[in-house]
Amino acid sequence: MIPTELKRELQNRIAAAVTPREAAVDVMKELQAHYGWLTDEAVGEAAGFLGLSTVQVEELATFYEMIYRRPVGRHVIHVCDSISCWAMGGESLLEKIGGTLGIETGGITADGLFTLLPCCCLGNCGQAPTLMIGETIYGKVTVERVAEILEQKRRDS
Amino acid sequence: MVNLTIDDKQVTVAKDATIFDAAKAAGIRIPILCHDKKLHPFGGCRMCLVEVEQMKGRLIPACTTPVTEGMIVRTTTDEIMTARKLVLELLLLKHPLDCPVCDAAGDCDLQNLTYEYKVNANKFTDEKFRWDIDYENPLIERDQNRCIHCGKCSRICDEIVAFGAYSFVNRGIEAKISTPFDEKLDCEYCGSCISVCPVGALIAKPFKFKARWWALNKVKSVCSYCGTGCQLTLGVKDNKVLTTVYDEDQGFHNGQLCSRGRFGYQFINSDKRLTTPLIKKNGTLVPASWEEAIDLVVSRLSEAKKSDPSSVAALVTPRLTNEELYLFRKLFKDVIGTDSIDHSAGYAHKALTEGLKESFGITASPSLIEDIQKTDLLLVLKSDAYETHPVIGFEINLAVKRQGVDLRILSDKSGKLTRLPDAKKYIHKPGSEILLVNAIAKSILDQNLADPAAQSLPGFDALKSALAAVSIEQISAAAGVPVEAITRLATDYAKAGKALILLPIGLGYPGHGSELTSALANLAILTGKLNKEGCGILILGEKNNSQGAADLAIHPTAGGRDAGAILEGCTSGAVKVLYIAGENPVVSYPDKAKSVKALESGAFVVVQDLFLTETAQMADVVLPVKSFAEKCGTFTSVGRNVQQIRKAISAVGQSRSDREITAELISKLSGAACGGSSAEIFTEIAASTPGYSSLSTDSLGDNGVIYPVVITPKLVPVVGVVPETEEGKFALLIGSSLYHCGTMSRYGEGPMLVCGESYLELGRTDAGKLGVSEGDTIKLKSAAGELNLKVKVGTRMPEGVVFVPYHFETSAINSVTAGNPVTWVTLSR
Ligand code: SF4
Ligand code: SF4
Ligand code: SF4
Ligand code: FES
Ligand code: FES
Repeated sequence: MIPTELKRELQNRIAAAVTPREAAVDVMKELQAHYGWLTDEAVGEAAGFLGLSTVQVEELATFYEMIYRRPVGRHVIHVCDSISCWAMGGESLLEKIGGTLGIETGGITADGLFTLLPCCCLGNCGQAPTLMIGETIYGKVTVERVAEILEQKRRDS
Repeated sequence: MVNLTIDDKQVTVAKDATIFDAAKAAGIRIPILCHDKKLHPFGGCRMCLVEVEQMKGRLIPACTTPVTEGMIVRTTTDEIMTARKLVLELLLLKHPLDCPVCDAAGDCDLQNLTYEYKVNANKFTDEKFRWDIDYENPLIERDQNRCIHCGKCSRICDEIVAFGAYSFVNRGIEAKISTPFDEKLDCEYCGSCISVCPVGALIAKPFKFKARWWALNKVKSVCSYCGTGCQLTLGVKDNKVLTTVYDEDQGFHNGQLCSRGRFGYQFINSDKRLTTPLIKKNGTLVPASWEEAIDLVVSRLSEAKKSDPSSVAALVTPRLTNEELYLFRKLFKDVIGTDSIDHSAGYAHKALTEGLKESFGITASPSLIEDIQKTDLLLVLKSDAYETHPVIGFEINLAVKRQGVDLRILSDKSGKLTRLPDAKKYIHKPGSEILLVNAIAKSILDQNLADPAAQSLPGFDALKSALAAVSIEQISAAAGVPVEAITRLATDYAKAGKALILLPIGLGYPGHGSELTSALANLAILTGKLNKEGCGILILGEKNNSQGAADLAIHPTAGGRDAGAILEGCTSGAVKVLYIAGENPVVSYPDKAKSVKALESGAFVVVQDLFLTETAQMADVVLPVKSFAEKCGTFTSVGRNVQQIRKAISAVGQSRSDREITAELISKLSGAACGGSSAEIFTEIAASTPGYSSLSTDSLGDNGVIYPVVITPKLVPVVGVVPETEEGKFALLIGSSLYHCGTMSRYGEGPMLVCGESYLELGRTDAGKLGVSEGDTIKLKSAAGELNLKVKVGTRMPEGVVFVPYHFETSAINSVTAGNPVTWVTLSR
């Protein structure tokens, strides 16, 4: 169940869109922000708001990498694994961060703070390798830089 | 029109055609995998690549590219062939290639194209898919390993079926077709997805490992369930109907069927079929020879005929062919001389034989199925129209989703139709249909929206004065529909350029009789929505030949007993011989006790049927008949379409067709030979039946012929009565389940696998109040009796209203109903 206020906001957003489908990503993101991830319940609610079937919402949800259909940590670290970043050491970066955090990709750290995921090009190829946490993009990252960022996040939480 | 050149051929096509359409029109075949003429263009597979002179440099998908003037297209260059081969190699890369055990083999587009393009090696290697196969649902085996991601299943289920069971989930190599939350498929089981799947990813479970596709003899026929009259192709091997075969060129529905039509065929070769005549001896039915059985029947009939012809009565199912119904009428009305012949408990045809007759002077609908997609505003009486006639339901889906038709549903419950995009529903208290329709008529007059021409039609003044006494406010209060909604509907209906009314009728809908029909006809006549494309009223007859039975007047026409009176006559002793062909009053007529009493009354009862039904078990003589697959003849479906069925297999056991039996009885009773093939009898029908005069079996061809009608509109005032209510009780509505039609579908394996027993459907609030949940048993009690039923909780039923389907013998709902549109019942755990 979602709060009435959020419900109203979502309905307004859908009403403002030309077709409900257009607002689907917004709706999924808001619900995700509310629940922490896009739960089955949230998929059902989104379908209800958007006038789509649950499997149609699922189609969109599973298409977008930033929509999580499984529980995730409070911060999701998206490490780019597309061509430029890969060429600049993105693959080993991913592996090393996993090692530092003690999780496989897709896993959640024991303190519930982090989840690590590979992702598609973040449009920051010139600054490869790139990763993104929340809405923030970090370019030219090194293992040391990542350690600092994660420490910062830990302190902030 | 647009002119273009394809493979040096000049082609002229409509400007919205694609290159694929244009090539097809010119007889040039372009291979396709993801394209389907019924669906929106998709352009996913790239099998249809062609070369366009004006767009050199890349290959163009023919299925999504619109034609332009002067286009020069080549469909088979070396480059194209290589590209198509590559498409196939990529598709085959992860495909299991388990053709030897795949039911689609022979009918598989991937297999056929692989062969045609000689793809005997693959330059790529990769692992095969390893998806779990869905064996869980009753009818459709889903093997995603064979899937080529054409998306047709998901598109047809969304675009035409409007169910939306599937969608792609995930991306890239992980992508697959999924059900909601990847659970087992739980849907309408229409099988449309199976029909369009180009490979064996979706197969019909009941047909699995039954026969190779190429070994099937394919026989075109017509579905023998509901009045829609869908054409179908029976797949036959070793004198057995093993499946229905999809043919996208069949009928207005492009080969699509509902679950009954597609999966309900097993009744034909069911083990339960009667194979010999039976005669009751010492209280038990024992096998007998045809000679003995016919002799007995003839002697009883001729005895009764001699003493008093009116002591003979007949109940005949509208599932028989026109030819059989015609002979039945002849036997009873002419040879024996009784007018007591009827079908469907009487009320399931009165909309046609009395309502339309009074309002239009004919017993058939003035409108056609094709009007559904051509109208502007569609007014449907009861959301149940989808359940009773699912393929007409697809037409409604298309009308709304593709043509933007404004759908209005006047109904006592919600349902599939009320959920369509922008559909407006008017949920009213049970039994208040006539009141509401009268209120609409009144509002049309009040707002001066009546067609001036209507004022000079017979009955106008009578209607006007009758409606003067009607109060929209009172009706609004009684029916539970706001005044503004009623007047708005009246305005919109009257002002719509074209408007069409749909009314399903049948044994489950006792309220849909002559009066409601006339009330609806008044709307169309008043507003001049008649005799024009997309206008008028379309009555949806319940059974495959309900319209034929009305055309042939299989009901009393000269003061004879109707169905109810026939049963009463048996009980009172006035009816001495009761002849029942295919009807099953014990289960399907209202008031079970009345039917049972009549059959136990001592009247001599003859039943001819496919099965030893609940009614046949009580007969003195039982005659085994042929199913629609074992005979020829014609059915007349909704919208007056006269279509032919064809013999697909020889008789099961010793069964004979109703035509053969009746002809023999006529010969023996009249002393004059009565024979003749179906075609010959059809000629007699054409000569004597209004509208049929120009028809012959030759002219019917594969698609049938819609016979013409001329209507003489008359406004007929009808009185709506405020339905009685009983405080503290629930309103019980009966009706049709989506998976069944009458009582015959109980012998079809498919429908029973999906919906095998009766249930009571109610809304969440009521379920909460009663403290019951899905699957619990609930006790239902009416003035007539009580029953235990399984609970089904859903979103269709308004508070205080419950629904039970009427098809089943166990927990037969007719043991608590007596033929009223609404029965008041108490429910308890
Ligand atoms: S059987 Fe019909 S309702 Fe079910 S998934 Fe297939 S197309 Fe959709
Ligand atoms: S299951 Fe069949 S129809 Fe559906 S996407 Fe796969 S191949 Fe196409
Ligand atoms: S039952 Fe009716 S709608 Fe279904 S396939 Fe047969 S004729 Fe068509
Ligand atoms: S490839 Fe990594 S940001 Fe573009
Ligand atoms: S048939 Fe044209 S792209 Fe699939």
